[in-house]
Amino acid sequence: MAEDFEPKIVGFLCNWCSYAGADLCGVSRYQYPTNIRVVRVMCSTRISPHMVLRILREGADGVILGGCHIGDCHYISGNYYTERRFEMMEKMIELAGLEPERIRLEWVSASEGERFSKVVSDFVSQIKKLGPSPVRNKPEVAKKLEGAENASKSFRMKALVSKEYNLLTKENVYEEMLDPERLRNLIEQAANDEYERSLILTLTQDKSLSVKDLSKIIDVPTDRVLEHIVALRQKNLIAMEHPDGFTPTYHAIIIGGE
Amino acid sequence: MVIGGGIAGIQASLDLADKGIPVHLVEKSPSIGGRMAQLDKTFPTNDCSICILAPKMADCFGHPNINVMTYSEVKEVSGKAGDFTVKILKKSRFVDETKCTGCCECIEKCPTKVPNEWEQNLGVRRAIYIPFMQAVPRVVTIDRDVCRKLTEDKCGVCAKVCKREAIDYEMKDQEGEINVSAIVVATGYDLWDPSVAPEYGYGKYPNVFTAMEYERMINAAGPTGGHIKRRSDGEHPKKMAFIQCVGSRNPQMGHPYCCAVCCMFSVKESMLAREHYDDIESTIFYKDLRTCSKNFYEYTERARNDYGVRTINSDGTVKENPENKNPIVVYDVGGRPVEEEFDIVVLASTLIPRKDAADMAKMLGIKADEWGFYTSPDRVMNPGETNVSGIFVAGYCAGPADIPESVAQGSGVAAKAFEVLAGSER
Amino acid sequence: MENDKSNEELRVGVFVCHCGTNIGGFVDVPSVAEYAKTLPGVVFAMDNLYTCAEDGLAAIKNAIKEHKLNRVVVASCTPRTHAPLFQATVEEAGLNKYLFTFVNIREHCSWVHMKEKEKATEKARDLVRMGVARVKLLSPQEEPRIPVEKSALVIGGGVAGMTAAHSLAKMGFPVHLVEKEKELGGFVRNLNNLYVTTKDATETIMPLIEKVKSHPNIKVYLNSKVSNVHGFIGNFDVKIKPNDKDEEVEHKVGSIIVATGAIEYTKEALYGYNVYKNVVTLTEFEIMCKNKTLPKVKNVAFIQCAGSRGQDVSYCSRICCNVAIKNAINIVDNYDNLLGIAEQTGKAVEEVPVEPKAPTEVLERRRRRSSRGRGREDEEVAEEVKRGPGERIEVTIFNRDIMSYGIAHELYFNKAREKRVRFVRYKPDRRPEVIMDGDKLMIKYFHETLAVEREMPVDLVILSTPLIAQPDAEDISRLLKVPCGQDGFFLEAHVKLRPVDFATDGVFVCGTARGPADITESIEQAEAAASRAATPLAAGYVQAEAIMAHVDQEICSGCGTCIDVCPYGAITKNEEGLAEVVAAACKGCGCCGASCPENAISMTNYTDEQLMAEALAALKEAI
Repeated sequence: MAEDFEPKIVGFLCNWCSYAGADLCGVSRYQYPTNIRVVRVMCSTRISPHMVLRILREGADGVILGGCHIGDCHYISGNYYTERRFEMMEKMIELAGLEPERIRLEWVSASEGERFSKVVSDFVSQIKKLGPSPVRNKPEVAKKLEGAENASKSFRMKALVSKEYNLLTKENVYEEMLDPERLRNLIEQAANDEYERSLILTLTQDKSLSVKDLSKIIDVPTDRVLEHIVALRQKNLIAMEHPDGFTPTYHAIIIGGE
Repeated sequence: MVIGGGIAGIQASLDLADKGIPVHLVEKSPSIGGRMAQLDKTFPTNDCSICILAPKMADCFGHPNINVMTYSEVKEVSGKAGDFTVKILKKSRFVDETKCTGCCECIEKCPTKVPNEWEQNLGVRRAIYIPFMQAVPRVVTIDRDVCRKLTEDKCGVCAKVCKREAIDYEMKDQEGEINVSAIVVATGYDLWDPSVAPEYGYGKYPNVFTAMEYERMINAAGPTGGHIKRRSDGEHPKKMAFIQCVGSRNPQMGHPYCCAVCCMFSVKESMLAREHYDDIESTIFYKDLRTCSKNFYEYTERARNDYGVRTINSDGTVKENPENKNPIVVYDVGGRPVEEEFDIVVLASTLIPRKDAADMAKMLGIKADEWGFYTSPDRVMNPGETNVSGIFVAGYCAGPADIPESVAQGSGVAAKAFEVLAGSER
Repeated sequence: MENDKSNEELRVGVFVCHCGTNIGGFVDVPSVAEYAKTLPGVVFAMDNLYTCAEDGLAAIKNAIKEHKLNRVVVASCTPRTHAPLFQATVEEAGLNKYLFTFVNIREHCSWVHMKEKEKATEKARDLVRMGVARVKLLSPQEEPRIPVEKSALVIGGGVAGMTAAHSLAKMGFPVHLVEKEKELGGFVRNLNNLYVTTKDATETIMPLIEKVKSHPNIKVYLNSKVSNVHGFIGNFDVKIKPNDKDEEVEHKVGSIIVATGAIEYTKEALYGYNVYKNVVTLTEFEIMCKNKTLPKVKNVAFIQCAGSRGQDVSYCSRICCNVAIKNAINIVDNYDNLLGIAEQTGKAVEEVPVEPKAPTEVLERRRRRSSRGRGREDEEVAEEVKRGPGERIEVTIFNRDIMSYGIAHELYFNKAREKRVRFVRYKPDRRPEVIMDGDKLMIKYFHETLAVEREMPVDLVILSTPLIAQPDAEDISRLLKVPCGQDGFFLEAHVKLRPVDFATDGVFVCGTARGPADITESIEQAEAAASRAATPLAAGYVQAEAIMAHVDQEICSGCGTCIDVCPYGAITKNEEGLAEVVAAACKGCGCCGASCPENAISMTNYTDEQLMAEALAALKEAI
């Protein structure tokens, strides 16, 4: 990769701790590379996984989220959810074939000015090592990211990720605690399913594809693709065609609106 | 009117102002924030102190109903509840507060360096300065006692570099009068100088520190950038001792009372040390480990069990190993004295009323006890009230209190002051 | 926010600040301003030496008028300190303050890239472009003002509750004070005297009780409970139900104070409690002193931390050391006198039987807590305690650390030591034991300093057991949707800076409901809670920031995820089962927005579109 590669990095910082830490960093004149562009949010919990995936799809080389230290959240529990959502983002990015190291979550308090500069410097050099985002010259990665983005926007994923924290920390109505391992597996499974299905829909939006084509692009066995297609057909999200009379191909049904 | 811009005073001001009452907040130093702004973390959650305080300071300063007068002193009070006349001296900063943007360029150029009292003299500041980075208001002040321009009419570099022309060497102290219905006194505490007691070796042995010095050292924005350093050689210590009740619970030293916060802050400080350095070992020498508020005992247990903090129930005095400048703590095991060498010793020295507490009491006509804490005639049922109707006290100046107690007292006296105001309306 | 501004042409003004040389020295400010002019929608851009100075502010106001600006971007320092100033400025020029965006090119740019002027300038341009992208999507917002019912509800008629109610009443607000027992006074009614005073405890609080009863602004509901609470700050609907009747009274109140107090912990067989005679708790001893039903004693022992500090409950109960010291001094100074009165009135007892020791209402409260079996009756009769004339009563306090914090307590502690009250320290791994040797009550303990096992005879053992949360604390917690901590006491919003607030706006807590506290501390907290509770009542309205959640009812499926994740209970279900945001309670963190599975929730002023436009503008020139 080119030596002079200057990554484009988007940062989301919470108003109360990490943004304030970045302010203190400035006040104290700790220097860091210019690559980061900060968007201020009230709380890191505001950031949905699909937003980060979208930014990556549009060509950002890295995204960094900053929040208050665990336990210090200005909104009591916001950053616990951030933590769960971040795991989801990493998972989705990995599925889409991008390096999960392109995103980072850091807790920076309002008094950690120097640390903020270190965090940014470190992240920038990490991204430099990874090189430019493959999105720019590999359209299929963008497609996959789009699939991941849609998957993380789905009801199932959002509901699971949002409820994960409460499920792990509070008893359910039967006064039982959920086994974290089981829940993680469940979410992992759901994430795979949703990602693959979303990707099928994304890929078949512009042109019809066969099960074999899909299996190759997504890199999963044909029977699994078929499984997804059955599920999607049941929801009336995908239609079947026989363009050459033999192999059926599929295309996504675009519902008006979006 | 509220006297004192620490956490108790800020809380009282905010509570009154939010009820629509105009408040004059008078603070002696150049910035509000008080002692809490000096602390690194707070027990028992290890929340960063300035992080949680700064929004309150900003709220207070920006509140439409609060007139914050920093670098100002109350000179005279007359009148009675509902109608006090207060004479206030606004000391000259030699800087136009409305013009200064807090860019601090003048500070960089100022040639005069003096010990930084905010950093417990561990660092230096310039003659033109802001006490700390998060100061509110964020404007500079010229120290008239050391500024070369003001003392010798030389230099004047700050005026030259200030593009806003905010520096005014001719600025005079101003006196003004305001009328108020009620007065809240929340002047806080001073730190007792333990060098008075030679058995602790403070001031004599370089590696004996006070808790406030330690607090500044471990603060990331402090004089050592968050590193604990021995005064003798700048090395980071591996073995630390905390000695409790230095000067307090000690009638001979004139402070028979208990400061109520030192046990907890020493536990906190020993935990913070461990968070900074894995290899550090702390020992707390205590009389009684007074950890008696919500979650305090649990916090102490965590320090003992998870942070490896050793607690020894004994007084401690300090000697020094002259070879390596290591302080030696002499303590008591089953009636026998034992000596143990440490890298540094931190003293939890007594917190005492402000040195001008008695003058303030005289000026206001309120009573203070023999140590200078303001007292209430009915201490049990009417805390916060004084013998003068319409004057209330909150925070440490009314007796040892930690942050939440000071906040509660600040709110509490706001209620009392509001009762006076609501009563006078009817 | 979703309603398009009727095709109004966007006219953005950009003001780039030099901040003296703070920005200007490291960023080419004029070029940034020039660049801003090229951005679509920007009709005006300028650079100022100090945008925040009077002339800079005047320039903004002039430009808004002259160039008919309807969006303003200021690129200077940090919004955390300066946003209010510029918002007020645009508002003065007639522009809604939510049509303003702040771009930080000082703390986040010039000051941190001081050696790379070119790159810093490029970054400043990007940041301005992001700000312009954001400002174009903003829409004017009104900050909702919600009217407030100017009255309050106080739950609990102990000292804390009465103080809070009385304070609010004195401020001129009507107060409903609900007490579940038959009379006001709470825990203090059990006590003999209060430390620092020798006055009778009930007598000390009597003036307060009288003031509360007679104040025209206070309506007292005795023997009643709060049965239902609905609503939010400024507008709570509460129902109060008498214990013996079914008819409920309904009121609307603006704020609620929880002052439900605590009870004393007891456990069967804890140091022989309810197993051996003459083993009582601190409060039981106070009741005995008060009722003058005292036994003759020569040796008295207090055991501190009985059941607390990790034995049964994890916490330190804060007050027991000082109560024990007070009683120790009372015993040394005054026991003969008390006993004399007891004998005269014929109330003196040979011994304190296993039960009952406490008056019925105390027992009743405990019984409600637990229906555990009682210890066995001890049949044996104590030997007459013989004490020669002039022989003093020996008092020993077994303790771990004496918590006589502050001034008065520590002086009392010293006084107790002067009066030769013995303080014997024990460690949790070697607790003292209360045993019955034949018919003699004995304490077996380990002497720390001498490192030997010892025994001493005692006539009366007083256990300093901790205060524990009220048995109905959880009901109230559910009713008001406020949390209890692990120790069962109510959990305040912030341990340091919001000691009497709940995270839920409009609900406050004080006294021992919040955790062990002595009477003075309870009163301080009660005054504080009164102040906090009075704030919305005095203002007459609550002003919510316009940064808050908004649920699109068309999309909402009523799954309730947002209700689960909201830390403020600011989302409720409406009659149709769909989510609805309570404007007064929402703080705008956005957790619900990011959580909503249907993507039905948007955050005013921080919509997905606005955030994405800002973020994506960082990557590309065209948006």
